[in-house]
Amino acid sequence: MVEFKLPDVGEGMHEGEIVKVLVRRGESVQQDQPLLEVQTDKVNAELSAPVTGIIREILIAEGETVEVGTTLLVIDAGTDAKKEETKLPEKVVNPDKTVNFAPARADHRRSLATPYIRQLAREMKLDIELITGTGAAGRVTEEDLRQFSNRLQKSAPAKFPTTAPGNERLLEASTVGVETEPVVQPKTGSATRVATSSLGDIERLPLKGIRKKIAEHMVKSVTIIPHVTSVDELEMDQLRALREKLKPHADKRNIKLTFLPFFIKALVIALKEFPTLNASIDDRTNEILLKRFYHIGIATDTPEGLIVPVIKDADHKSIFQLAEEIDQLARLAREAKLTMEHITGGTFTISNVGPIGGLQATPIINHPEVAIISLHKMEKRWVVCEDEGVIRWMMNLSLSFDHRLIDGVTAVRFTNRIKELLEDPNLLFAEMV
Amino acid sequence: MVVGEVAVETDVVVIGGGPGGYAAAIRLGQLGKSVVLIEKEVLGGVCLNRGCIPSKALIHTAGEYHKLSSLNKLGIQLPTEKATFHMPSWQTWKSSVVAQLNKGVDYLCQANGVTVVKGTATFLSSDRIGVETGGDFETYKFKQAIIATGSRPFIPSFLKTDGEYILDSTDMLALDEVPETLAIIGGGYIGMELGMAFAKLGSQVTVIEAAERILPQTAAHLSQEVLKQAKQLGMTIKIATKVEKTEVANGRVTLICTSEKNGSQSITAHKTLVTIGRVPNTGELGLAQAGVEMDERGNIPVTATGCTNKSHIYAIGDVTPGPALAHRATKQGIVAAEVIAGLPSSVDSPYVPYVIFTEPQIAGVGMTREEAELQGYKVKTATFPYRANGRALAMDEGEGFAEVIVDQESHLLLGMHVVGADASNLIGEGVLALELAARVEDVALTIHPHPTLSEVWLEAAEAVLGHAIHIVNKSKVAVSK
Repeated sequence: MVEFKLPDVGEGMHEGEIVKVLVRRGESVQQDQPLLEVQTDKVNAELSAPVTGIIREILIAEGETVEVGTTLLVIDAGTDAKKEETKLPEKVVNPDKTVNFAPARADHRRSLATPYIRQLAREMKLDIELITGTGAAGRVTEEDLRQFSNRLQKSAPAKFPTTAPGNERLLEASTVGVETEPVVQPKTGSATRVATSSLGDIERLPLKGIRKKIAEHMVKSVTIIPHVTSVDELEMDQLRALREKLKPHADKRNIKLTFLPFFIKALVIALKEFPTLNASIDDRTNEILLKRFYHIGIATDTPEGLIVPVIKDADHKSIFQLAEEIDQLARLAREAKLTMEHITGGTFTISNVGPIGGLQATPIINHPEVAIISLHKMEKRWVVCEDEGVIRWMMNLSLSFDHRLIDGVTAVRFTNRIKELLEDPNLLFAEMV
Repeated sequence: MVVGEVAVETDVVVIGGGPGGYAAAIRLGQLGKSVVLIEKEVLGGVCLNRGCIPSKALIHTAGEYHKLSSLNKLGIQLPTEKATFHMPSWQTWKSSVVAQLNKGVDYLCQANGVTVVKGTATFLSSDRIGVETGGDFETYKFKQAIIATGSRPFIPSFLKTDGEYILDSTDMLALDEVPETLAIIGGGYIGMELGMAFAKLGSQVTVIEAAERILPQTAAHLSQEVLKQAKQLGMTIKIATKVEKTEVANGRVTLICTSEKNGSQSITAHKTLVTIGRVPNTGELGLAQAGVEMDERGNIPVTATGCTNKSHIYAIGDVTPGPALAHRATKQGIVAAEVIAGLPSSVDSPYVPYVIFTEPQIAGVGMTREEAELQGYKVKTATFPYRANGRALAMDEGEGFAEVIVDQESHLLLGMHVVGADASNLIGEGVLALELAARVEDVALTIHPHPTLSEVWLEAAEAVLGHAIHIVNKSKVAVSK
């Protein structure tokens, strides 16, 4: 039997939501055949069978959030349904072959566990007879109890009983949730509850999936990082003119040219000059990690929430290449097809809320990065130019930075440099490698 | 019910102050519950006052007395005058032992806030109990109750005990002299324990057992060792024999017995001991008023937490179906107390050890070979004889053997049984091994102190694996077909 556990499909990931179970109990599967769809830190991943065999048990339900290392399925390796059919009569004819500890144990009515573990199981309200022991000779260990408890609570919370003192019949009832094929169970957390308070109706929704991830990530970021936000405004006329010039060339190559590639280019140039903004802090060792690579995250709005795909090695890519990649990543994000590879490893993030609106913001840094820039709405404004009021295309940008590492002066110099590069795009080209 | 009666309110009443009842009361006290423990006689119950402790005091005494005759071969020269046994002195000593233990239980109850009430309890309803305390009648209102009233010897009507010639085990332990001749009806563990003790003290003992062998509850090959010793002690054992009638005349009891083999025969003795089982003390409790159900034998069926059909009333010990053993009652009592206090406790172990203080002692835990095979196991067993153990020989205790029963495939220990000197203490290792789900290798790989009797487990375990050091291994490993 092969226990198929939730692998760590990405850096730092510790749990994932089972979006879809693609197989059924008793189904024969081939190696590499997709078994489950799991939504982890902002990506959907398809997990495939490590071996050819038969699905013996499905231990999770769709909608369930499970930790890395949790057993999801049990696969009887090396067999398939056809082979098993031919094997069955043999088992009946020759019962000696099938004698193993399991039926004997059933007769003895006891799983293998020490008295302490039994006591612990009772405390955790678990029926120890249902737990597969991973200890020596199949003994149930403390860890087995924990794993089982996690699975049980996540798969069938409604069926998990409160055991009244003296009523172990209820404890037996807790087994129902495990015996039932989890695939048909209602999606955990999908239920909403409307309660009436003195203030009015309140709808309760589970905080789960990507939203839960974002919430956790944001809390972590603001808890660790002392945020400071600096706001500046840019004149965009020259950049707009340049973009208009380049657009027909881009169109010919079927490239959707936005302002973002220009920003990325400017950003990379500035980051090279201000290396602390492309750094991170190792909180364990209190070291500053200056990164000599430039992986730029682009915060992207999707129906599921904010996702940050990363453009790797942005300093080695042309404006057109960047434009192409941005388009491609945005599409993958909207279709929820990003992989862990797409969203990890960023060194700096751009949040582009310009198309929506807003003057300024305090963007929250994508920990462990140390700064984030937010681009706002581009609009015509009255500005004073050489003592005269003129109309210009203007845009605000907000830079949040980690004040542990970056001083206000550095941050403003950094935005000044970006401003300089974007207000006169010729400079941008002059600096380009 | 008396008009105007005022009931004393308490969390829990425990009815019966035996090893189950007092343990439950003390545990409840520890867990902060208010407890009333009702005992109609003396704290400690049958075990302490009339059972385990007095009988083991007698068995120990008889053993010591009997050893005197074999000390000569150890080089101990006794005075030529023959040693004598003075039973009244023994009674005084036994009473001091019992009194000391009684005092201890009483002190522990007090120290844990348990209110001990002396009287006879009867349920008035499902939450009230009345207690007759001499001339008074007190009422207690309880949230939970634990029935721990124990059992008494079963005496069939035609064998009516009279306390003088026809005795139950309690009477027997209260004797002031060793009967010259003693007939024992029932060759179970009480009959054999007391029979062997009195044989050692000088009685001419005849045991009459209706089954095909003595100690029918144990495996035949274990009881065989006891049979050998019984014969050496000069006891007469009549198996497959039934007592039809008793007659008392001229200071003697005559038993009219029949057996298929020998037909009708009569046995005459100065005293007759009747030990053919025990019945639960549930008849006078007013269980119907409380709504507590019993089975046809008068036992109260319970769950693993001791709960009866009434969820707030628990029953423990000999009033529940199962072997009448003090250690089972104690465990059940503690569990019931903990469950009442809201702790997740349960009697979930099949490993209730048994100990028989015969000569030699027998003790065991888990399944016998036959039981394991009946359960569908393919088993391996091996025995290690006491005569191959250095310590046993040095103690002049070469009789007996230790046996381990192992699942052939997983090597998990299924049962451990021992017949021989100090078997009662040796079985502790067996209980722990089985509870910890040990494989036979776990025992075999554990360093056992030398020279001790405990090495019999080590060697029996090694023998299952085919490599015992102190016996020849070939053909010693029995494998079931």
